[in-house]
Amino acid sequence: MRNYIFILFLLIVSIGVQAQETEMNTSEITAFKVQIKEVSKSTTTIIAEFVQYKHLDFLTSDIETSGNMAFKAPNWVKWEYTSPYEYSVVFKDDLLLINDGGTKSNIKMGSSKLFKKLNELIINSVTGNMFDDGGFEVSYFKTPDFNKVIFISTDKKMAKMIAVFELHFNKNDGAVIEVKMIEPSQDYTRIVFSNRVVNSEINDEIFTN
Amino acid sequence: MTKDWVASETKKDIVENKYFSDSNKDYIYKAKINIYNHKFGGILIIKKINDQNHRVVFTTEFGNKLFDFLYEGENFRKNFIIDNLDKKLIVNTLQRDFKLLISEKATVLEQYHVEDYKVYKTSGDKRSNFYFINKKSHTLDKIVNTSKTKEKVVVLFTEIEGDVANKIQISHNTINLQIELEKFAKY
Repeated sequence: MRNYIFILFLLIVSIGVQAQETEMNTSEITAFKVQIKEVSKSTTTIIAEFVQYKHLDFLTSDIETSGNMAFKAPNWVKWEYTSPYEYSVVFKDDLLLINDGGTKSNIKMGSSKLFKKLNELIINSVTGNMFDDGGFEVSYFKTPDFNKVIFISTDKKMAKMIAVFELHFNKNDGAVIEVKMIEPSQDYTRIVFSNRVVNSEINDEIFTN
Repeated sequence: MTKDWVASETKKDIVENKYFSDSNKDYIYKAKINIYNHKFGGILIIKKINDQNHRVVFTTEFGNKLFDFLYEGENFRKNFIIDNLDKKLIVNTLQRDFKLLISEKATVLEQYHVEDYKVYKTSGDKRSNFYFINKKSHTLDKIVNTSKTKEKVVVLFTEIEGDVANKIQISHNTINLQIELEKFAKY
């Protein structure tokens, strides 16, 4: 009996949590955008750990990979996967520097519009500054724990690969805590950040590969 | 390719490849591809969905899908492929390579003894496959796909544990394409 009451309690709580996601009103949207712009402007560096979950509907469990991320304003980014394999990518100016477990290669982003866009999106997702991007229809939500922004791709080429971007922001400091990229098939990639440190000294050497 | 081999009477009807045959398993591999010295990596995901069907999906390290194939028995469907890869030659090559990898059973036509291996010849359409079974370990170590005159594709299975090959190497001899696969440790 006790178990039933406990399950019932859990159900009520979880329904309650879901019901508490509401759309922001106009003034809330304005205030939120100001917060993110301020955060983005004052952020010179970010380092964070991340866990990436790749969800495919036919798999038994999500594919989990993890590592570290570093950002230095205005546009240097390093993604470094450390588990279960070593793989890192540096987005630096017009170059993509790849180190695939010791196999190194470079790609000029200038040669690919898609890479340029990808780089922009990564920086904007990390800093939260995606709102001025023309290629999306944007809507704003709040929950008791975080703010949530949904970006629906309006660019046809992008929409074929990623239909929707979903970003979760920490309510207090405006930091991006989660990025979800949903494909047209509804399969998705979810990246969850932790141990985020802002504006620490980062040596430029980190952005080599 | 068989001219120096010792033929033996065929005793086996069917040769099996069990490396992707467990529908309870998610087969996840880190992939490194080298095509005409252009190198790129990604994640190869193979899942046996039911008795006859396999899904084969390739994504970048960031999770973006590059292609998504469905094999339904002898039928093949492209669920998704990025525009840059959607060329007939590329799709046909990938389709054939992965078909070779996931095919579980093939009818044996001829049988040979070659050094440490029992070799079973099976037929494709215009091509033949040769399955190399290690005489000591009884593991499938190699599949060679040939045309009438040439070795076309060689698949090597190494670091084998039970029905799992932790490393797989697919090499093409007629085009400059190599695919290296290494299984994720925790899957």
